[in-house]
Amino acid sequence: MSTKASRAAARLMISPSVILLLGWMLIPLGMTLYFSVLRFNLLMPGDNPFVGFENYRYFLTDPGFTAAIWNTLALVLGVLVITIFGGILLALLLDQPMFGQGIVRILVIAPFFVMPTVSALVWKNMFLNPVNGLFAHLFTALGLQPYDFLSQAPLASIIGIVAWQWLPFATLILLTALQSLDSEQLEAAEMDGATPLSRFWYIMLPHLARAITVVILIQTIFLLSVFAEILVTTNGGPGYASTNLTYLIYVQSLLQYDVGMGSAGGVVAIILANIVAIFLMRMIGKNLEA
Amino acid sequence: MTASIRTLLGATALCATGMAAAAETTLTIATVNNGDMIRMQGLAGDFTAKHPDIKLEWVTLEENVLRQRVTQDIATKGGQFDVMTIGTYEVPIWAKQDWLEPLDGLSDDYDAGDILPAIAGGLSIDGTLYAAPFYGESSMVMYRKDLMEKAGMEMPEAPTWDDIAKAAEAMTDVSAGIYGICLRGKAGWGENMAFLTAAANSFGARWFDMDWKPQFDTEQWKTTLTTYLDLMGKYGPPGASSNGFNENLALFQSGKCGMWIDATVAASFVTNPNDSTVADQVGFALAPDAGLGKRGNWLWAWTLGIPAGTDAPEAAKTFIEWATSKDYLALVAEKEGWANVPPGTRTSLYENPEYLEAAPFAEMTLKSMEAADPTNPTVDPVPYTGVQFVAIPEFQGIGTAVGQQFSAALAGQITADQALQNAQTLTEREMKRGGYIK
Amino acid sequence: MARAVTTQRKALNTVIAWGVGILIFFPILWTILTSFKTEAEAIADPPLWFNFHWTLENYVTVQERSNYFRHFWNSVVISVGSTLIGLAIAVPAAWAMAFVPGKRTKDVLMWMLSTKMLPPVGVLVPLYLIFRNLGLLDTRTGLVFVLTMINLPIIIWMLYTYFKEIPNDILEAARMDGAGLRDEVVHVLLPMAVPGMASTVLLNIILAWNEAFWTLNLTAAKAAPLTAFIASYSSPEGLFYAKLSAASTMAIAPILIMGWFSQKQLVRGLTFGAVK
Repeated sequence: MSTKASRAAARLMISPSVILLLGWMLIPLGMTLYFSVLRFNLLMPGDNPFVGFENYRYFLTDPGFTAAIWNTLALVLGVLVITIFGGILLALLLDQPMFGQGIVRILVIAPFFVMPTVSALVWKNMFLNPVNGLFAHLFTALGLQPYDFLSQAPLASIIGIVAWQWLPFATLILLTALQSLDSEQLEAAEMDGATPLSRFWYIMLPHLARAITVVILIQTIFLLSVFAEILVTTNGGPGYASTNLTYLIYVQSLLQYDVGMGSAGGVVAIILANIVAIFLMRMIGKNLEA
Repeated sequence: MTASIRTLLGATALCATGMAAAAETTLTIATVNNGDMIRMQGLAGDFTAKHPDIKLEWVTLEENVLRQRVTQDIATKGGQFDVMTIGTYEVPIWAKQDWLEPLDGLSDDYDAGDILPAIAGGLSIDGTLYAAPFYGESSMVMYRKDLMEKAGMEMPEAPTWDDIAKAAEAMTDVSAGIYGICLRGKAGWGENMAFLTAAANSFGARWFDMDWKPQFDTEQWKTTLTTYLDLMGKYGPPGASSNGFNENLALFQSGKCGMWIDATVAASFVTNPNDSTVADQVGFALAPDAGLGKRGNWLWAWTLGIPAGTDAPEAAKTFIEWATSKDYLALVAEKEGWANVPPGTRTSLYENPEYLEAAPFAEMTLKSMEAADPTNPTVDPVPYTGVQFVAIPEFQGIGTAVGQQFSAALAGQITADQALQNAQTLTEREMKRGGYIK
Repeated sequence: MARAVTTQRKALNTVIAWGVGILIFFPILWTILTSFKTEAEAIADPPLWFNFHWTLENYVTVQERSNYFRHFWNSVVISVGSTLIGLAIAVPAAWAMAFVPGKRTKDVLMWMLSTKMLPPVGVLVPLYLIFRNLGLLDTRTGLVFVLTMINLPIIIWMLYTYFKEIPNDILEAARMDGAGLRDEVVHVLLPMAVPGMASTVLLNIILAWNEAFWTLNLTAAKAAPLTAFIASYSSPEGLFYAKLSAASTMAIAPILIMGWFSQKQLVRGLTFGAVK
């Protein structure tokens, strides 16, 4: 139905975005690719000789590399699972009639407004600290030994912190979707004697599928590059227990100032991110088809 | 200020206005969020009153973030800062690369000869000073006199590691929330590795032999690490593997530690009744040894340096002279009392009777600093300088990676043997990559 | 919901929901409370809830040490600036994709989103060098640019989903009436898309406000926003819980208050096309 003229106009209107994003992607990417085949350490200025794939070899055989891949996946999946399950439950709860719904909603969405750095600092010091933290006080009050979250369960702790930040986002999207559900359909099901569980399973969940997909897509994008929470709480440790790919690259390029190796790591991460992206796009593409 | 650097660097059109306003000089000062630096920032009014044509902009960051920011900026010649707070590790490496302006032509009043020789030596190349020390530190034992008394023990002035273990055992009272010893466990070359490398020196261990071969497979390192893990496992606080200097300071100040072996600068914080619940109960002793002739104490200074290429080297030098002068010490003394002046930089401070009286830790601090020898840090000879670090550019990365292994061992995730083996492998790998060994 | 609900049921819901809400909000509440304590009270065991000496001392200390209002203003300029510029670039693109979809529209959209997956640490040094050469280090202009680029894909996508929900018939009708492209966008499309745009704007201000990697690494003194401000309170010497809490409260308060006041607008449009 669109005419030739409107197609041309459309192209014209899309082009600023495309050109800017293309530049934003290609220029740093080009430089990263170029640096990744050089021996380039900021602390050792010199002529930065070409070394071929040496940086890639060192990055891929880095003792932390495999751990970083698994941790990245565990972090993304862990947070997704918690936020989607928690989000559905919260959305169902908030959808019920109650007093002061607006205030409850304000309380629930608040974590989303907190800077990752602040939330990591607060959790680390004021809650998870095994001596002065609130959990430690709680444990001792119950007569238990304080649990040392950040060294005994570093990755799980970080998953918890990140999930706390993203739970409101998932809840909001799921809640909006839930509220758009036709209530007559539910009532009809209720009349037919469907249990609440089967109503949820056969009517609500299919209706939420699209919203869940959206949550997965958006959160994955942000979760792949979780960084501040790790830097502040565990520095990727103990050992490599909470090092994800982003943090490993940070260690290489900014702690060791090895731009060559950091760039190689960046390229590897981009490739992996694209694999995830393709996978996601497939899924989303199916679910979001208009 | 930074605007006109950019103009020089070639982005002329964008920044032409930066040149016009040259009458007032603005210095951008990058510094660490440590107590003494925060105090300097608070007292900077004295400087600007004396030099109304110089305006100061402060960038105060947490240590690791600061180090990354300034290193990145100086190495890429970003020109963001006019004065940088850097450590004794960076100064010689950066000076060799001509990244720092030499601090020559300092005024007579400044009396550069007064700077403690052990510190000045580490900041000079061929007799030229490249950064001025703001405060210097070694490490020592800080302990609770009341708890030792209660246990019926006395801390020797120069304890051995065995003395430390006994004292830790006697003071530990977990039900009362008191842990016999607090030590750094957080991974980082400037965190747990500063303590462990210095401790290793006292056990006769070293990072590299004369051929730059890593030495983590030696018996001495094993003794070092097992002693540390043993002490912390039995008498240490929970969560020790994420404790750095600041976390331990908070623990000690709130009365949870019997002993703490750490930086001498902590002495003025733990004896300050405003911040510390145990201020009047703190005793001091030299860092422990194992009878091999070296003690487990380090030597460090935070210094102020001028990045090469700043367009206000004179103003920057004026500022550094002010911040590291005798007058500045007197100014802090006047406002905050002698106990709070930045320690460990000037000989004259340790000859000042007012200071010695106000600071019960002064004598032990000086003794500790004198006991550390960066040019000859270990029992067996080594090809490097630095007590708790190895002054090569690769060390930051290697030190932190090894620190992660030892931190994991402290958290109980791997054994001491595994940690040492991993440390050996990864250090060998990096040294090969750096071309030190084949 | 139209169904009749017993008061008992409603009361039960209320209790549970409030309990959960307070639990989720608790870390923030605790931070705010702690910011009014002294350092010693902040670590007291058992913890003090309300019976402590309320003090503003920590806020005074923080303000003496850091120029809060400069950081605050930088945060405002950077987050609002990048969002508005992003919006200006995104509206035409989203319009075109929604109303003149081509075969590859979906691919372009997904590609745009995928640019967000590049790990920022991997490209920091290249970007730092570019910024140095362009004189953009420590400038708000530079940060606005970076954050615009980072959030552009999200803005485009959100707008695209809202525009798609607008029935084509209305546009057809407008065209029949002889409205030009410009009229069509300004008088028909935008008014209908206002709720969606409002929520896009709000979400992106939040994301930009909280972005901590680029804002910290590309600034020094002049353009540093609140993310850099908070970096000077992470693990300083000595007892610091109360001061950290005060600084944290100051860093999150503006966006929290904005979020609360505008939550209706934010929530209404936050669907990402998830609702049909």
